[in-house]
Amino acid sequence: MNALKFFRLLIAINLRIVRRNILALREKSLLMVSVIAVFVIGYWFAGYTIFYMGFRHLAEVPGLQVIVLDRMLYLFFAFLFLMLMFSNMIIGYSTLFKSQETQWMLTLPVRSLDVFRWKLMETTLLASWAFLFLSAPLMAAYGNARHVSPGFYLKVFLLFVPFTVIPAAIGSIAILIVTRYLHRRVFKWALFGASAVGIAAGITFLKPMQAEQLEQAQMVASLTQLLHNSNITLQPMLPSYWVASSMIAWGEGWSGKGLFYFLVLLSNAMMATLVCVTISRRLFYEGWSRNHTQGEFQLGVPLLDKPINLPRAALADRIVNLWPRMHHATRALVIKDIRVFWRDTSQWSQFVIFFGLLGLYVLNLRSVANDWSNEYWASFVCFLNLGASSMTLATLTTRFVFPQFSLEGKRLWIVGMVPNGLKHVLLEKFWLSSVSSAAITLCLMLTSSCMLRIPGWLTLLFASTVIVMSFALCGIAVGIGALFPNFSSASTAHRDDNPARIVSGFGGTFCFLLSLVYIVLVIGSEVLPMYQSFATNGFTDRGQPWAVVLSWIFVALLSLAATTIPMSLALKKVDNLEI
Amino acid sequence: MIRTEHLTKRYGGLVAVNDLNLDIPQGQFFAFLGPNGAGKTTTIKLLAGLLKPTSGRAFIGGYDIQLDPVDARKIISYVPDMPFLYDKLEPMEFMLFVGQLYGMERAELVRASDELFDVFGLDEVRTQPIEDLSLGTRQRLVIASALLHQPRVIIIDEPMVGFDPRSARVVKNVLKERSRAGVTVFLSTHILPLAEELADQVGILNRGKLIAVGTIDELRELSGEQGELENTFLALTREEERAVELP
Repeated sequence: MNALKFFRLLIAINLRIVRRNILALREKSLLMVSVIAVFVIGYWFAGYTIFYMGFRHLAEVPGLQVIVLDRMLYLFFAFLFLMLMFSNMIIGYSTLFKSQETQWMLTLPVRSLDVFRWKLMETTLLASWAFLFLSAPLMAAYGNARHVSPGFYLKVFLLFVPFTVIPAAIGSIAILIVTRYLHRRVFKWALFGASAVGIAAGITFLKPMQAEQLEQAQMVASLTQLLHNSNITLQPMLPSYWVASSMIAWGEGWSGKGLFYFLVLLSNAMMATLVCVTISRRLFYEGWSRNHTQGEFQLGVPLLDKPINLPRAALADRIVNLWPRMHHATRALVIKDIRVFWRDTSQWSQFVIFFGLLGLYVLNLRSVANDWSNEYWASFVCFLNLGASSMTLATLTTRFVFPQFSLEGKRLWIVGMVPNGLKHVLLEKFWLSSVSSAAITLCLMLTSSCMLRIPGWLTLLFASTVIVMSFALCGIAVGIGALFPNFSSASTAHRDDNPARIVSGFGGTFCFLLSLVYIVLVIGSEVLPMYQSFATNGFTDRGQPWAVVLSWIFVALLSLAATTIPMSLALKKVDNLEI
Repeated sequence: MIRTEHLTKRYGGLVAVNDLNLDIPQGQFFAFLGPNGAGKTTTIKLLAGLLKPTSGRAFIGGYDIQLDPVDARKIISYVPDMPFLYDKLEPMEFMLFVGQLYGMERAELVRASDELFDVFGLDEVRTQPIEDLSLGTRQRLVIASALLHQPRVIIIDEPMVGFDPRSARVVKNVLKERSRAGVTVFLSTHILPLAEELADQVGILNRGKLIAVGTIDELRELSGEQGELENTFLALTREEERAVELP
């Protein structure tokens, strides 16, 4: 079968699947569909408004808007290019080498080269659509700020096609080489090493400007520094430079220059694809075969050829041994959960991304560091910090903790046979997730408090709040997870126990909403008394501490209820559950 | 129809398939037996062209699976132990899709699909989403789709997983009929009575090495054990274990 006919058949069948997925939305809960719709529209609206207001603000200083706006585009596309490359590498590995569909396709009467081409297209689409979706408000705001014609947006869309192809081709080449020549375990640790180096480099080189520098008197110096620091994005050999230059030229109405950079981009995208497909002729099938024969890679380099047998199992045991009086069944369950989490690359890699982003946020707090002579502003920034941390924690508990019970799926009978049955399982999951998330968020909270150089009493308030919030959010996630389990998405018939699919059901949506309501109540009940206290003292003094103490007691009681109510209901339910 | 020449596959220090030489003629029903981890699935993946051999060659219908993979796959049907299906499609849609991938004409495709749906008892579920089907029904659908393009070689790994007795009987009958009609069937299984019932020839693989090949009677004679194939299998693999342990 020729490639075109093969692609045509696959496009037709995938369109049918997409159509069926859209129609299936009618069967989903109205709550879930509404929440998604509100989030999408809300994001676009909020994103557009913030960017547009920023651009309007820049326009107040003559000449500033054009300089900053254009430089911002170069910066944006440079970062987008990097993100797309990483995204293509991660998704490309799954679609090219781990997908069951790829294995099936390789048994069909088509060339492995055609399978690779199809999977490359699939990877590009999967890795790029979210970035385009996220950048849409920025593009709309930019266009509006520059008063462009409607045709500009069509040209931007055309620009995005070759722009997404180049990082996809580079990312796929990297994955082909790694899979063909590098041992899987070596790659895993190489990735860890690269991440560590990246974080160290971030700490060393990312030095955000201090708040004082951003004051009006320092504006010119700050702008000069900003432009100087972002000069690297003006390298004319970068694809991000071509796309930004083309966009700016079309925005200005210079069609010739815009077309020139578009053609540069297009020809390079075609060349990158050609190189990628040519390399795949030699590396794809061999890489796939090697990837499915673990331990076969022999490079002739003893250090790399030797499997890395780090004492992972012993490490899990050692962590659990910190609690010597732990029940033997709980110990077994904890070790099992730690091992399963660690060995599922998709789980821990997303976990690392979550906390990596939060880490970057904490690092950036250096930019607002001050002596905080004004306690009102210190409290204000700290509450923003608490809000950001707890929102991340809620996302985390919904994504990772909520599916835990459903993930046991058809294996529920194994863990259900422990002496105290499923109650034991549920409590183990609650304690494990609460203790680990409390430890992580407490570290982040203490680090951010140090960065912000806030007073000791505020640090104590926020640290204790984040601990009780960790327990409450985990209580909600474990409890709702057991009350609304989604075993069908974790069934062995699908063969892929997909936590993301479990979360997308009614239970996951309900869990996230409940967590949000809880966060709003907690922060609201701490913010309001403090605000009133400051307001009565002219925003110079926090006044009497009794209001803060009372609000903390209320938060503690609220958290206790948020922890115990879902957990009690869940424990009652699993007690009567037929395995 | 299926021929291997010194086929070898190494996983690091482990030799999963060791110097395998097979010659299976057209129309033969060949059962491939062996203990867990003997290298049966690796052999099957080598024959299907999914894995690249460390050394040696495999031929299907005269085509070298590594050099002429597309021509070889036109005449093969490979059914893995964990088959792939598009969950969001309906069984009939899946059949039409697979048939088109093999270049079948639409009229012929519909006729063959109807016939196979009838044989495998899939008529009732033809418009249900595949994601709603039971494990056994999914497995029947996979086997039906594998027979759609009239393959000359069927390579099938553990076909009886999830089947009730009636479905198992249907599958056994269909495979045997195809074999009588000239299709070569290469079946890997742990179910010894299945091999005993269907196979013209049996090959026993242990630790990657083909330790015995022949008809059931020839294997009985070789092992010195009479009665069920189980006794023969245990005797032959036990001898091999001893041979490995003694030196």
